[in-house]
Amino acid sequence: MNAPVAAVLRRVNRTLLGLAGLLLVVAGGAVLAAAFDLAVPSWWPWSGPDDVLLTAARRQRWRDEGWWWPTVIAVLGVVVLLALWWLLAQFRRGRLAEVLVDTGDGDAAVLRGRALEGVLEADATAQEGVAQARVALTGRRTAPRTRIALLLEPYASPGQALAGLGGEALDRARTSAGLAELPTEARLRAVKHRARRVN
Amino acid sequence: MTTPERPTVPPQTTGTDGTGEPGGAGEDGDGVPVLAGAGTDPRRVRRFWSVRRIPAALVAAVVLGGTGLLLYDVAAVRADRDAMSWRRELADDLAGRPLDDGLTVAAAAVAVLLGVWLLVLASTPGLRAVLPMRRAHPDVRAGLDREAAALALRDRAMEVSGVQSVKVRMGRAKVAVRAVSHFRPLDEVRADVERVLTDGVEDLGLARPPALTVRVDRPSKKG
Repeated sequence: MNAPVAAVLRRVNRTLLGLAGLLLVVAGGAVLAAAFDLAVPSWWPWSGPDDVLLTAARRQRWRDEGWWWPTVIAVLGVVVLLALWWLLAQFRRGRLAEVLVDTGDGDAAVLRGRALEGVLEADATAQEGVAQARVALTGRRTAPRTRIALLLEPYASPGQALAGLGGEALDRARTSAGLAELPTEARLRAVKHRARRVN
Repeated sequence: MTTPERPTVPPQTTGTDGTGEPGGAGEDGDGVPVLAGAGTDPRRVRRFWSVRRIPAALVAAVVLGGTGLLLYDVAAVRADRDAMSWRRELADDLAGRPLDDGLTVAAAAVAVLLGVWLLVLASTPGLRAVLPMRRAHPDVRAGLDREAAALALRDRAMEVSGVQSVKVRMGRAKVAVRAVSHFRPLDEVRADVERVLTDGVEDLGLARPPALTVRVDRPSKKG
């Protein structure tokens, strides 16, 4: 299975967030246990309320070893690079620039992603009850996916709007790009409006 | 706040089983989940899971800032320059402050709370404002905003004759509607509102239609 970019990022984010949370809970809990003088085992990093977080002796334990500073610098460098990559990954939207269309005669044509997005947007907006549609093409060139945000007009039926999108609009996009499938994630919102009395 | 129950897969009848294998798969206990997990079954709808971009970006920025600063300072000291004063002060503080000092305990407590919060963020779906919709088409996963659902139901209820105003509280599993009616008997209005909204909830196309409660009152007397 080719997982979409967002799904990979979701898994990475949640794993790393969970790891960070676990680390904080364990470290904070270990300090609290010692600080409140609970019966801690002998291997516990802190012995009791009078202990300190990091003694000078512990901090300088390996300072005279030849491998210590290179190791510290290497580990810090790796962590810095990973954190930088993780941070930048949050701002990448993974929008697809082009889609590969199989022409059926062994050649391949390239369809611009913006063009397909535009067509889908126009088709989705043309439906009754849809005020605005925004389409983003994601995934990969040979297996694109779409994310669609529909803004429903007042008095539109969400169920019908979705049926129209899944039926007609996406069908046309699929056939025009020669795709067997076009997995879509749709999010439906409504235009805010005041209540209207009919009687 | 209520947590929605998992979607229940209705028992498969062998006659309508579209997998082309009548009999065997439907009765065999472990055959069904595999089929249901294939992802094309329109009855199986999962909640939307947030990517958690913002918490991830914040944690990444904090880790990047902290380790980056430390790396810079360690490298500077290696290059025979003086360490920054914060590092010396921090080292003195870590070596001098006992564990039962107020600041240490407070910092540890904050770390535990922050850690629990991050664990919650990592393990819950989030996106509580999005209600998953029925899968009309195998390719399309759709979610309806809670606010949009509430507006649609309000508009439906306003169409009932005798209804002056409507308040809709849309939960994830329940929807509570309070209408104010200024004419017609309350019982009739309530019956009409219930009938209209039962259709209305169906029309939202949600995977797990919320339970509906309707209350109709007279307008409060003006003082």
